[in-house]
Amino acid sequence: MEENNQQTKTNTHPLAMPIAVVIAGALIAGAVIYSGGKAPTAGTANQPQQQQVAQQTGDLEQMTPVTSKDHIRGDINAPVKIVEYSDTECPFCKRFHATMKEVMDEYGKDGKVAWVYRHFPLDQLHSKARKEAVALECANEQGGNDKFWSYADRLYEVTPANNGLDPAELPKIAQYVGLDTTKFNTCLGSTKYDKHIEDEVQNATATGGNGTPWSIVVGKNGKKYPLSGAQPLPAVKQLIDLALQGK
Amino acid sequence: MVIQALQKVFRKPAYVILALVVSALVFVFAVWLPNIRLVAGIVISPDVPFASKLELPLSLLGSIATNFTLLSASYTIVIAILFGVYIAMITYFLKRRIKEVGQGGVATGFIGITSGVLGVGCAACGSFLLTSFSLVGAGGVLTLLPLGGSEFGIIGAVLLASAIYMTAKKIIDPLVCKVEV
Repeated sequence: MEENNQQTKTNTHPLAMPIAVVIAGALIAGAVIYSGGKAPTAGTANQPQQQQVAQQTGDLEQMTPVTSKDHIRGDINAPVKIVEYSDTECPFCKRFHATMKEVMDEYGKDGKVAWVYRHFPLDQLHSKARKEAVALECANEQGGNDKFWSYADRLYEVTPANNGLDPAELPKIAQYVGLDTTKFNTCLGSTKYDKHIEDEVQNATATGGNGTPWSIVVGKNGKKYPLSGAQPLPAVKQLIDLALQGK
Repeated sequence: MVIQALQKVFRKPAYVILALVVSALVFVFAVWLPNIRLVAGIVISPDVPFASKLELPLSLLGSIATNFTLLSASYTIVIAILFGVYIAMITYFLKRRIKEVGQGGVATGFIGITSGVLGVGCAACGSFLLTSFSLVGAGGVLTLLPLGGSEFGIIGAVLLASAIYMTAKKIIDPLVCKVEV
């Protein structure tokens, strides 16, 4: 009876603890591996299975090289380039956009850093972000690089993030930055930039991006550093200084 | 009862240190998680000066303010503290009553940690949790959750607190031989 009494004190199934430990271990190990960029799969839900498998081998060297066709703030020949894959409805991208503006105030004027913007709308979380990416391309089509960045700055400023921007605001932003809204609306309704945006999404995941903002800092010797999330200004500056030294 | 158990455990400085070290490690791990590859690369690179090996990882800790929502930062800190306390208490307990390990408490603790990791990973847009769910083809599940995945962090904190409570109960239980009445 005493034994029975003792048994009731250890009142769970004898395998409960080992099973829990195994599950916990597997999930924690998974967290480390996947968050370390080995299994980027944050693309759209309807991607073919083989693409997801291919993405699991993603590495920074798969980054599409920066060219004059990119949206670049600063000098394209700057020794350090920060390639940011961003989602306009992600609150952390909104925060990081402000951080990057500070970075450019400090490093852009001397031509030390160039900021390259690429699209990475996370459809599963922010269904409106892909249309906003099209809006950015339409701004670029009409007004070139300057209008692209004016539109991006204003969009990130006014959006409450998390899918909170009313689509009716997109032409208003166009008007605010001095674009022809009729032409803008025609462009916005077209599908001509869909492939370009999707290509950038695919490239983001291929390089290891599994969330936004996802950035790749390219040093003067071509060395690439991954930077995930809205990191604080001091961290970004530290990384830029390392990249400038070619370390 | 929990207070009594905490007083009993943390009367010894070794357990205070253990709890602090474990809490700090969990916090650092959680904040570095999205950039673990960068941190590892910087730390092991022979080209990076020693000062930068320290400064960059330390500056990344500031992302608790920029890369987390108020909610996710709160439960990340709470989980780190609870985990430290839990490990100290379970260590204290195991050193005294190995044969009477409360499996329920230990299991709850580990499930709490697991759930906490899922919640922590979800701090940034579409990070670990979305990745994991996408792998099993259930990425859309997140959009159905009212807090977008923070539920896991909250559940983790609650489970860890439960595990601490269960362990505290075991610690306070007097070491006596039970007799049938």
